[in-house]
Amino acid sequence: MTARSWWKLPLALLLTALMLFPVYWMVNVSFTSRDSIRKGQLIPLDFTLDHYAVVLHDQLPYLGTSLLVGLGTVLLTLAVAAPSAFALARLALPGRTLLNFLLIVAQMVPAVVMSLGFYSIYSKAGLLNTIPGLILADSTIAVPFAVMLLSAFMAGLPGELMQAAQLDGASTWRTFRSIVLPMSRNSLITAALFAFLWAWSDFLFASTLNREGGALRPITMGIYNYIGAQNQEWGPMMATAVVASLPAAVLLIVAQRYVAAGVTAGAVKD
Amino acid sequence: MSPTTFHRIAAIGAVLATGAALTACSSSPAPGEDGSASEGSTTSKITFWDPYPQHKEGSAWDEHVKECAPDGATITRTSAPQTDLFNQLTSAVKEGNAPDIVVLDNPMMPSAVGAKLLATAEQAGISTDDVDENLLGPGVVDDVAYGVPFGSNALGLYYNADVLAAAGVDPASITDWDSLNAALAKVVAAGSKGITFSGVAGEEGVFQFLPWFWGAGADLEDISSENAVSAGQLISDWVGEGYAPKSVTTDNQSAAWDLFLTGEYGFAVNGSWFAAAASDADFATGVVPIPARDGGVAPVPTGGEFAVAPIQDDDASDHYANAAAVIDCLTSGDAAMKTAETLGYLSAKPDVRAQQVAENPLWGPWVSSVEGAEGRTTDLGGAYVDVSASLSEAIQGALNAAGDPAGVKAAFENASGY
Amino acid sequence: MSEVTATRALVTRGSRPPRGTRITRGSAPAGVRRRPHSTTWIALAFAAPLVAYLILFYAYPLVQNVIMSMHRFDRNTFVNGGAPFVGFDIYGEVASQPRFWPVVRQTAIFTIASLALQYVFGLTLAVFFHRAGFRLAAGLRALFLVPWLLPVIVSGTTWQWIMNADNGILNTFLGIFGVDPVWWLSTDTSLISVIIANVWLGIPFNLVILYSGLQNIPADLYEAASLDGASAWQQFWRVTMPLLKPVTLITLLLGLVYTLKVVDVIWIMTAGTGTSQTLATWSYGLAFGKGTSSVIRYSEASVVGTILLLVALVFGFIYIAVQRRQED
Repeated sequence: MTARSWWKLPLALLLTALMLFPVYWMVNVSFTSRDSIRKGQLIPLDFTLDHYAVVLHDQLPYLGTSLLVGLGTVLLTLAVAAPSAFALARLALPGRTLLNFLLIVAQMVPAVVMSLGFYSIYSKAGLLNTIPGLILADSTIAVPFAVMLLSAFMAGLPGELMQAAQLDGASTWRTFRSIVLPMSRNSLITAALFAFLWAWSDFLFASTLNREGGALRPITMGIYNYIGAQNQEWGPMMATAVVASLPAAVLLIVAQRYVAAGVTAGAVKD
Repeated sequence: MSPTTFHRIAAIGAVLATGAALTACSSSPAPGEDGSASEGSTTSKITFWDPYPQHKEGSAWDEHVKECAPDGATITRTSAPQTDLFNQLTSAVKEGNAPDIVVLDNPMMPSAVGAKLLATAEQAGISTDDVDENLLGPGVVDDVAYGVPFGSNALGLYYNADVLAAAGVDPASITDWDSLNAALAKVVAAGSKGITFSGVAGEEGVFQFLPWFWGAGADLEDISSENAVSAGQLISDWVGEGYAPKSVTTDNQSAAWDLFLTGEYGFAVNGSWFAAAASDADFATGVVPIPARDGGVAPVPTGGEFAVAPIQDDDASDHYANAAAVIDCLTSGDAAMKTAETLGYLSAKPDVRAQQVAENPLWGPWVSSVEGAEGRTTDLGGAYVDVSASLSEAIQGALNAAGDPAGVKAAFENASGY
Repeated sequence: MSEVTATRALVTRGSRPPRGTRITRGSAPAGVRRRPHSTTWIALAFAAPLVAYLILFYAYPLVQNVIMSMHRFDRNTFVNGGAPFVGFDIYGEVASQPRFWPVVRQTAIFTIASLALQYVFGLTLAVFFHRAGFRLAAGLRALFLVPWLLPVIVSGTTWQWIMNADNGILNTFLGIFGVDPVWWLSTDTSLISVIIANVWLGIPFNLVILYSGLQNIPADLYEAASLDGASAWQQFWRVTMPLLKPVTLITLLLGLVYTLKVVDVIWIMTAGTGTSQTLATWSYGLAFGKGTSSVIRYSEASVVGTILLLVALVFGFIYIAVQRRQED
């Protein structure tokens, strides 16, 4: 690289450090014993591993549930969003503009409104306190966005390949499965990323629809074990957040490579 | 957008509106007025909701509750923070799948009764004998009792004995507001910080403020009285002079306690549930009753929760029988003592309380506060929540005014809870 | 098709595919049998799950919400039925509350400031990392997404501690430059505090989307521009920004929609007190009896929620209009 950009790495490190400073504070508190948490010390002088011991003892089942719910949400979201995005972008779906508009409107509905409505439906359908129910609820956060993202990308794909496939007699489904999906790999991964993150951090649906699920509750609820009526334990809560972020961070870094490669990678050039 | 699209939107809107109108017409089932514990028998699965998520599965409280299952039955216990618990109870009663027993914060009782969420104590076979009247008060609405309190906690003035000794303050000298302020000045002058308390928005902040409010002679019927404003001025001055940290506006009681545990503060207004933690702290601690403005002990609000049986639609008698069995188990005999000790409360029954004090000297300083405690909702009933909302606004305004008398006065006079 | 037109076709991100690459009913290439009707059916079949999904999970709660706003509900009538129909009375009551217009103004400030700052920071970072050339670029960019992984209760509380007036690290940092400690969470300045925390939370979203958009811009356009003598700054304004327009639009619109709904982070930091109260936090407090008042006001909460929805709808229309004009 040119000499001009030697400053880019240190600057990037500085910016990242600034951005992640609150995360550092979190880790700091997770290693500090309760007496010193509010002292505002920059490093955990009153060091303890107790919080992590508590967390590893309590929270692992919740972590497992969160991972399950996250991955399930990704699958459901893509299953609903990808075909619809294809129809919107390339199949001259009647009522396209209306559907686009409705997708935007759908995202405007406050989560509070949705969760109250969901409780009623789920109660009657017997979906309360189940993992599939939670996956379904969490997917509502991601589906409209995923459709918008995927249809925007699929609209930009070169039509020649698809036309060639049609000439060869391939059905629309075949075209979708064998040509469009692989070419959309990066935008699918981007949509999957958002779906996973939103499901991972959801609290509202979990607490409304899954409160009696026992171990089958996600980590966002597991953390509430440390919030008592008059007593909250910040050390274990911060430790939970750290432990909970690790698997998700790993997934992020892996997925980032595909998002990073750019949405046109995989697209065929003229 | 194009006319076709517009027409499509309008058409969909019409369909939805019709569907919605149909939904609105059908109302939820009427509350079950029948059912009585004596007519039913316990079932094999019992659900128990309480606001103690810190007592996880396998903890002492969890085991204690589950041991109270009648023969052949198992108890499933889940927890949620108090306001959430109340909202979840509301949705559950609406859908007809309420739990058998709920433990509800005492100021919520009139609201729950008003929304027809609870069965009467008689219906549910809950015994309210031998319970102190002042502690039972919040659960009595229109002369009908709706549940029984496990016990009560109380607020007191904790102090850091080491800090006070270094500043030359004698805790026994704190008998009214003037002596308290003098002590605070001395503590701060000696290099420590003054006092922690919780002024957070909501019922918790109001709970903490009431001893000063009542100690000034103010009444919940009129929160803009001079006495009320003087109580507000007291806490506002603490923030203004730097005796209390500015985070009081967002600290809840636990956060205020975290500050006290750092050992940097001389005083902490907090509850008896921290009594054990206080004796374990790195520094020597003590507790004195909260002083009233002109001397004497300030009345504190009753703390603690009520065990109640929610209204049931189907098999109501059986559910009430469940409630009767479990609540009776938790509140009588040796189990009552264990309930109070595990939760960190002083029992609502005087004889059990005496036993607690005899066995655990930690409770000694708290007995007079609990016996003199006043229910927040006892007089006002369902109107309390609105008063509390206005008072909470006033407290927030006063704290933010940081000592400015005009600001404090305006906060108390203009507070509207909406 | 020339190379430039083809790449520009790849770059346009409207909901309609660019002319010439669309498979429509009428434009099938010569030699292929036309099957217009089955294409429509196939399209409908592909979109059916989404439509069913939308009706079931969005329409129902939405309609419930509007109905609630026109009946006077309290906890009792919510559970037991019998709430009287009052038409638009509650809308009038809410609008005449003394705090209504201040809350609207605060919502506007919160939304506009958050959006603007998130976009600017996100774009700056995206440009910075784009063709960055140093090895850690991808890893560091992934790390920028970490704020999204944290439960909001944790990140919100951390910000609350960072902004502690007495011993928070932010005041300590400002103190190095001689600035007096600021009471960040007091009534007057709480709006600024929550904006800061919200911008921090929103940068990852903007970064990811804008970065993808930047990747879409072919490098040869930059080469051609620099051959013509354009500076980096000029390249940014003449090449990058115009081609980023569709992505910018969608980012701003979605950002607006999401920011209007933000409750968690504000709630955890300040419980929606003082100037940090927005329409969303007000609705939340009213619906669940949280904040200063524990009275549940379902109808009023629905009213405020509906107002929020209407505001968002207006911007949705604006977006569609702008997008259409872009494609013409």
